[in-house]
Amino acid sequence: MKKPIKTKKKVKTAINSQDLVYKYKLFSDLMEHTPDVIYFKDNKGRILMVNKAYTKGLKTTVKKVIGKTDFDFFSKKRAEVMAKDDEQVLKDGKLIIDKIERATRHDGIDNYVSTTKVPRYDDKGKIVGLIGITRDITRRMHLEQVWKEKVRIEKKVEMLEGMNRLKSEFISSVSHELRTPLAIIKQLVSLIYDGTVGEINSKQKEILMKTGNNIKRLKKIIDEVLDISRIERGALKFNYTLINLNDLIEESADFFKGIAKDRGIDLSYKVPNKQVNIFIDCDRVNQIIFNLIDNAIKFTEDQGKIRIEIKILETKVRIGVIDTGIGVTKAGMNELFNKFVQVSQKASAEKKGIGLGLSLVKELVERHGGEIWVESKLGVGSKFYFTLPRFYKLDILDNNIKDQINNLLDKGKTIYFISVLIINYREFKFRTKVKSKKLFNDLEDIIDQVFSEVCKFKGKKPQIVKMDTVNGQCNIIFPNATEEKAIIVSEMVKDRIKNYFSEHQVKNIFVTVGIMPYPTPDESLTTKRLPANIHIKEMYIGSKIRRFKRISYEPNVDIILSKDEIEPSKAVDISRGGICLVTKISLAVDSEVDIKFELPRNRQFIQTKARVAWVKNLDRCPKEKFDRNKIGLEFIKLKTKIPQIFLKELKL
Amino acid sequence: MDKEKILLIEDEKDMVYAVNIQLEAEGYSVVNAYDGLDGFEKAKSEKPDLIILDLMLPKIDGYKVCRMLKFDDKYKDIPIILFTSRAQESDNEMSKRVGADAYITKPFEPKILLSKIKELLKNNSKV
Repeated sequence: MKKPIKTKKKVKTAINSQDLVYKYKLFSDLMEHTPDVIYFKDNKGRILMVNKAYTKGLKTTVKKVIGKTDFDFFSKKRAEVMAKDDEQVLKDGKLIIDKIERATRHDGIDNYVSTTKVPRYDDKGKIVGLIGITRDITRRMHLEQVWKEKVRIEKKVEMLEGMNRLKSEFISSVSHELRTPLAIIKQLVSLIYDGTVGEINSKQKEILMKTGNNIKRLKKIIDEVLDISRIERGALKFNYTLINLNDLIEESADFFKGIAKDRGIDLSYKVPNKQVNIFIDCDRVNQIIFNLIDNAIKFTEDQGKIRIEIKILETKVRIGVIDTGIGVTKAGMNELFNKFVQVSQKASAEKKGIGLGLSLVKELVERHGGEIWVESKLGVGSKFYFTLPRFYKLDILDNNIKDQINNLLDKGKTIYFISVLIINYREFKFRTKVKSKKLFNDLEDIIDQVFSEVCKFKGKKPQIVKMDTVNGQCNIIFPNATEEKAIIVSEMVKDRIKNYFSEHQVKNIFVTVGIMPYPTPDESLTTKRLPANIHIKEMYIGSKIRRFKRISYEPNVDIILSKDEIEPSKAVDISRGGICLVTKISLAVDSEVDIKFELPRNRQFIQTKARVAWVKNLDRCPKEKFDRNKIGLEFIKLKTKIPQIFLKELKL
Repeated sequence: MDKEKILLIEDEKDMVYAVNIQLEAEGYSVVNAYDGLDGFEKAKSEKPDLIILDLMLPKIDGYKVCRMLKFDDKYKDIPIILFTSRAQESDNEMSKRVGADAYITKPFEPKILLSKIKELLKNNSKV
């Protein structure tokens, strides 16, 4: 019985000594490599052993520190603190865990350390010394500080926002309160001025007229303050209607004709021959134009000139108010649209106002989805421009339809505007051999049929359908539609039109439906701003414009001009037939270029030759330094493999 | 023809004073009420040809008075002009919703008030 046990014991000790070597190795690795400072002290606080990190900071060696105390390495003050901690551990056996202290390293850098000290016991349970670990936690402390700071700032921001809201509400209520006495003063002055309570002489009348003018001035200030406080509270609402821009400009400009004439200022405007319909809040846009013309008159010398011009672009209109006034400095131009800014030093008190006009104008323009900027030269004059988004298909709507739309908007109804456009209408007519009158009658029948199925109306039709047989357009106004219903209707109309053409043996007819948000989201705007209640869908019928399905939007495309000249650009869309892109450079029509791009889904690079099919110069925004061109490229010499890649891309 | 009677419901006494002078000078007879409840009672008892109604009124606000009158078949044909001190938006919408025939934002041109009164009275006499 004894023997086997003995052998067993022998084996165990063998393992133990191996184990010991192994454990010692682990321990010495810890002492050698850990970045934390580790030290063992005896019960008198004398160092028994330290790791390498301990000596690193003190610029000494492990052997040199043994037997010494903290008083040999640290300042007296600091060593006393350390000794006190040691005593706590050694005497009472109380642990010190994660004690955070500020320390100064030997290289003079202030840092934070976290110290943990635990007692060591002998076999009888008596404390014989301690083990300490000190870690540099400067980074952690900094992060903690940053975090605390963040929380503090957030709290402060919240408080300030609350105060700002209170302030806005206060301003708003004060302004309202100001209106009532102002209204009474106005009423009372008018009673005398109008002669309601008896005749007055011309001098009295003059005095009252001046009183009246100042009441108006005060009213304007109150209105501006109210508008700004509304904007700040997010309470500014817009009331969109379909407006003829030409009329709007004419009316605004005519209002100022008299004032301009008195000052000998030549105020002129030219409206475009074309009628332009846009969705805007008429009062607000009036306010914009009014403010700009009013400013121009204020800051233009007698006998000066003011010109109002309108430029119609594809997706927007640009309105300019150009004067030969005192102008603005470059520094002034940057600040002009800020709140409470008075750029002009010379302006008399009467001209000054409170500096809210242009900041309000800017906000109003931007809320319409437009942009505003100024070009000016001191002493020469200023050009104020602003844009409003437009949708060109609205131009053809006659007054009757416009009134109907406005009526619906007035009642707060949502409108979907579905525009069906036949592409290359002339060629299309030739190809289909369906008489245009019949075509449009049938089209209307199709639309009516779809509506009667989807909407199940009784009596009066909900939809308004307007045909334009001359231009090959059909506009459907769909009131009270939900997004869902509008999609159903568009898809059904699309399918029926396809069926219609196939019944008439017309092949290769292509019908697409796109949703177009109005106004068109501009890259320069971070948020998509949509006027309430108006949505626009576009539908194309045709064959010529797009033979191929579009793949993806906006991958980057490199135009390879020469071996080491590459022009980066951005694609608008890609199909396997070609690519449409926007770039700073201009290319000659029919010239050939090499392009390289990555198919966004299957991540394959394609390099190919392409022919420039068309080039269109885009109107430059003031923020852009370069002209932009929209270029249509048609792929040539496509290797047989490439269309397959495209097919794969379509499937992905 | 008798003088046309206008009921002015407005709590600002000086405003009442000023509008009264103007309307009387134009040959209207004017009845005043200084709060919503009184206004509502007078609209029923005095049978005015037209009502000018301020929005911010003690007791019952102008919107409620307007709605109560416009939803009552007996009084719904009396034209109502709302006086608002808040420009545009919410008031504009609200005026329509409560069925007011017109609204005027304070401060206003006295001539505009007169022309609106004349227009509404003319329309009403046609009916």
